[in-house]
Amino acid sequence: MSSLFLFHLAGLVLLGLGFFGLIQRKTLVGMLISVELLLNGAGLSIVASAKLTAADDVLGQLSSLLIMGLAAAEATLVLAIILVVLRRFGSVETDTISTLRD
Amino acid sequence: METLAFFAYALYLAIIVGGGFVAVTNPDLVRALVGLVAAMFGVAGMYFLMNAPFVGLMQLLIYVGAISVLIFFAIMLTRPPAGGEEQTPSTRRPMAVLAAAAPVALLGVICFKAFKQTVAVPDETGIKELGMGLLGTYGLAFELISVVLLVAMVGAVLLGFKRREEA
Repeated sequence: MSSLFLFHLAGLVLLGLGFFGLIQRKTLVGMLISVELLLNGAGLSIVASAKLTAADDVLGQLSSLLIMGLAAAEATLVLAIILVVLRRFGSVETDTISTLRD
Repeated sequence: METLAFFAYALYLAIIVGGGFVAVTNPDLVRALVGLVAAMFGVAGMYFLMNAPFVGLMQLLIYVGAISVLIFFAIMLTRPPAGGEEQTPSTRRPMAVLAAAAPVALLGVICFKAFKQTVAVPDETGIKELGMGLLGTYGLAFELISVVLLVAMVGAVLLGFKRREEA
């Protein structure tokens, strides 16, 4: 088993935990935490692929940095959206705020 | 030396698995956040193990330093009177396991079969090369990410404004 696969394995663990949490959590904040896990796994896999193969090293590390920037932007926006949802519905539980089927 | 690296890898993997498990299952969101921070520390350790110290430091600075504080604000601002606990319906759990296992199994098989490692021990890329790449080859991406961050910040401030009541 190559060390590249070992690092990919860590990324896959983060992916699985993130998906599990994203579906199983009931509040928007819990889902935000799961999304951060997913993005962490993506960055780890990209850097491992760039570092341990012949691919361009700089490209891999900068991609990971861009993912971190996107994660920061996403967390900021989600915080604002959570505040708006809380003001409008009085709750951030997904069952309370899904009004499409009513 | 090889075994030492393997032990470090196993330690970081244990931190990631444990922290991530707490992050997705603990009903108390503050404890879940602590689990997330632990998992982020584990990922940073993996970056150092891969000889990418700059990305590792950025991981600590951005994720552990900034994003966790942001999520903590989200938890504190939305805390219900009962106290931040959330109960998960047990019917959703099997579907969540299925939805997590399917893509992981597929990607795991692909990673195991398709990608072959060509570098045994990665050598470090200096910060100078990263900076040259950021301002040279990948300059457009660098500018675009700053625009995205600016738009996200302004959008968050706009969303946060209370609309004035119509008189």
